[in-house]
Amino acid sequence: MRRALSLALIACLTAGSAYGAADVGPGTAPRMDFTPLRAGTYQLQSIQPVGEATLLDEHGKPVKLSGLTRGKITLLTFFYTYCVDPLGCPFVHETLTQLRDRVIAEQGLARDVRFVGISCDPSNDTPAVLSQFATSFQSRSPFEWRFLTAPAVPTLLPVLDDFGQDVSVETDEHGRPTRTLHHMLKVFLIDAGGTVREIYTLAFIQPDVMMNDIRTLHLEQTAKASLVRR
Amino acid sequence: MKHPMRFVAVLAGVSVWLGVVPLASADETCNSPYMSNLIKGQEDFVHVWTLGEPGLGDASDKLVTVDANPKSKTYGKVVSSVSVGGRGEAHHMGFTDDRKFLWAGGLDDSKIYVFDVGTDPSKPKLVQTIGDLPAKSGFVGPHTFYALPGRMLIGNLSNAADKGGATGLALYNNKGTLIEKYAMPTATVGGVKGDGYGYDIAVNPAKNVFLTSSFAGHKNYMRELGDLMKDGEAMKNFGSTMVVWNLKSMQPTQVLSVPGAPLEIRWSLAPGQNWAITAAALTSKLWLVKPDAKGTWTAKEVATIGDPSKIPLPVDISITADGKGLWVNTFMDGMTRYFDLSNPEAPKETYSKHTGSQVNMISQSWDGKRLYIISSLLAHWDKKGADNEQKLQAFKWDGHALTSAFEVDFTKEKLGRPHHMKFTAKAGQSLALAAVRE
Repeated sequence: MRRALSLALIACLTAGSAYGAADVGPGTAPRMDFTPLRAGTYQLQSIQPVGEATLLDEHGKPVKLSGLTRGKITLLTFFYTYCVDPLGCPFVHETLTQLRDRVIAEQGLARDVRFVGISCDPSNDTPAVLSQFATSFQSRSPFEWRFLTAPAVPTLLPVLDDFGQDVSVETDEHGRPTRTLHHMLKVFLIDAGGTVREIYTLAFIQPDVMMNDIRTLHLEQTAKASLVRR
Repeated sequence: MKHPMRFVAVLAGVSVWLGVVPLASADETCNSPYMSNLIKGQEDFVHVWTLGEPGLGDASDKLVTVDANPKSKTYGKVVSSVSVGGRGEAHHMGFTDDRKFLWAGGLDDSKIYVFDVGTDPSKPKLVQTIGDLPAKSGFVGPHTFYALPGRMLIGNLSNAADKGGATGLALYNNKGTLIEKYAMPTATVGGVKGDGYGYDIAVNPAKNVFLTSSFAGHKNYMRELGDLMKDGEAMKNFGSTMVVWNLKSMQPTQVLSVPGAPLEIRWSLAPGQNWAITAAALTSKLWLVKPDAKGTWTAKEVATIGDPSKIPLPVDISITADGKGLWVNTFMDGMTRYFDLSNPEAPKETYSKHTGSQVNMISQSWDGKRLYIISSLLAHWDKKGADNEQKLQAFKWDGHALTSAFEVDFTKEKLGRPHHMKFTAKAGQSLALAAVRE
């Protein structure tokens, strides 16, 4: 039974495409040779709405994804807890930690911003594992940084599909799976209305730009609220 | 890049690795710089976006897939073909950021076809047709498909109102919904007046800029070339500018004067470099685009391609991964030339070969050892009679000479006119199947 379940999970996870001979080579750290535009002087595009899903939080409690992608400006990424790729999940989490500190330091911003991480390995990253993992990202000041997982891979697949988050499996020269999986690093900036407004792939993990994008959305949100009050 | 993936290992009892795909810098060298899965080893397939030819086969535009792996039994053969059910001047295509899908455009009907090349690249499937570009953007002639994270930026050639050269960029999300449109500038920006024309797109994330180039509108590119060249007024209607854009704001910051229809743009992929090169088709010149000491972008003519008085018509370029070499194809004389770009201020032609009666696009593998060339430029611009060769040619390059690897005759195979190429590698087998076998 356990083996059958395992196979089903694997089958689901690998239902997407995969590439065999693609030797992707080493990654390149992002460069930033420019002064970012001042916050509020540009518009962020409305790329796509975030779909609904029910996932599990760090306590194993079912949560609607919309509850964590609406009402605040959200930076959302897919990760797995044991990733050690220096230009992968640890790099993103280090960047997000720095951003969190900058957000906290800016008056009135922290309460309107949250970070969300969704594991792309629900079999390993159980709520208990996430709960332990989350302790590394606690701050002295209140800040909402949540970690989610799925009850099973089939629940995760439509979420990955909706975000356009690729997870694929390599094959060897004979077309056999090498048990090597890849996923493309993406961080999604979502406005308080639940619309993706920017996507940062590795080349765009530029903290100063990301910070100004958060500020830009915050200014937009403040202006809208002001309009409503009038 | 690879990490233990414990959950599968536990479940399947095998060792599994998981990695985040790096977004490396660049046919392979002309793809969007942050697309995933750049093929740095041996490509398995060459996908050829092919114009339908009346009276030939099903006469439809189609995506033809050719086996490009020398170890395969079907090496150099057509392994699949997907017709789109019509003829709309198939032209260029581009991968989505995750390399799972190919977006391919028709310059005449302005339709955009989305092919799934991720599930099984040996048998691409047409999964979506986007037909709202003219109605929603006002632009026609989708040319360049350039992946941005989660989005596709499309450089168009013309407009729906007068079919002239004034056009713009259309930004779609990966689901096929139009997000925004941006007109090419016609005002003076940075001291130079824009002409409103468009063609290629090339992004440099480290500088937060992208460049666009300029060609001609529907009225020109759908006209017989012989007639067009005799029409002095129509010949004035070609682009003569490039535009520097702020990538974040999507606003033009500078217009650069580059006479003679600057076409394909390639950034140097060498680390730390911030220059790009393009070829002007009508003047047969290479132009270098780079910032000066103050950070202002400049465009400078740096080399001549063939004999400009004979209008060789450079139609495509392909830069090496180290930024030190550039292949240039000239359509009219059927020449493939290699320029040493060690000094981008003074490129030098070091090799040339006559590769056909007409040659158009040229693509190289990441390691530069394999080169692919196709023949068709535009249905109404291709040569007539015996000179109308329509083929895909594969070559090996040893640094000194090109030698033929294989050739597919698209007329003999009743396929049509091959125009643009992209590479893929084989799809992975389902892990479940492998586990069952175990």
